[in-house]
Amino acid sequence: MQRLFLVLIGLSFFASITFCSDGNKYGKKLTVKEKTKISAILEKPKDFIGKKVLVEGTVVDVCKKRGCWIELASDKPYQKIKVKVNDGEIVFPLEEKGKTALVEGEVYEIKLSKEKALEKAKHEAEEHGTKFDPSKIEATTYYQIKGLGAVIK
Amino acid sequence: MIKWRKWIRILHRDIGYIAAGLTVIYAISGIAVNHVADWNPNYSIEKSVIKIEPIPDSILTSRELVFSILKKIGEKGKLKSSFSPDPNTLNIFVEGNTIEVDLKSGEVHQEKVTSRTLIRETNFLHLNAPKEIWTFVADIFAVALGFLAISGLFMIKGKKGITGRGAWLTALGILIPIVFLLIYYYKIF
Repeated sequence: MQRLFLVLIGLSFFASITFCSDGNKYGKKLTVKEKTKISAILEKPKDFIGKKVLVEGTVVDVCKKRGCWIELASDKPYQKIKVKVNDGEIVFPLEEKGKTALVEGEVYEIKLSKEKALEKAKHEAEEHGTKFDPSKIEATTYYQIKGLGAVIK
Repeated sequence: MIKWRKWIRILHRDIGYIAAGLTVIYAISGIAVNHVADWNPNYSIEKSVIKIEPIPDSILTSRELVFSILKKIGEKGKLKSSFSPDPNTLNIFVEGNTIEVDLKSGEVHQEKVTSRTLIRETNFLHLNAPKEIWTFVADIFAVALGFLAISGLFMIKGKKGITGRGAWLTALGILIPIVFLLIYYYKIF
């Protein structure tokens, strides 16, 4: 019984080393070979809606409570894109912030009425602990990536 | 005659021993994630604000600027990267700390993150973040819990068993979720 116990501990140690060796992997295995620039998606988002893309960028923010989204910096200044994953399917740890992520996913569009945009802005202000200014909120359309798999180094 | 009750007791006892550790893990995490709206079950996040001299039009390269800010605020952690969300803001990512600098005002917001050791690991397993082999382990554990629940009903015979007091207590346990759902969905009672 003691031997079995030691073998199990040894296997867990080996598994943890394997997991860390070539970046942290999340979700499904990456299948798309060619990378798409985030700036290209943000410039002509409608061309990419519904398409599977592979993007690379620095992780500049992570969902603090559930790890259910990350934001990636674009290859061009002042741009970023959100990668949303299904709750529980992938959980991104906060430690990944600042690292480089390779993400595969599908581009999609979100249209928000003014009421929904207000709700979202209020939620985000609460989450980030920032001021909520409803006067600047309008109906909006924006684009995200539904994350299917990622490797973060 | 097969002494089935004896075997149920033996299996209940040994499977119970094996399941004890995981049950405690799931219990701790269950409480932790139940209250996710009120607290962060994985991390302790300490926020602070300090002021440095404004840096409106720096002639430094972005890397030099990052290091000069880190020196000013006394941050010695390992630098991971930086990002400018707009021309007046610089985000610096250091191991365990995210620093947001308003270059115009010199206001520096810091967010130091520490992992809630043990609770975070229990959440990691409970929410099946590792997937793959852990899905298999968690499924076996779920089956084991089912067995413990069913076998537990038949361990004792007589007045305190499932034909006596046990029946009433079991019925109460089944009624709790049913009554809740009736109230929740159909506003009955």
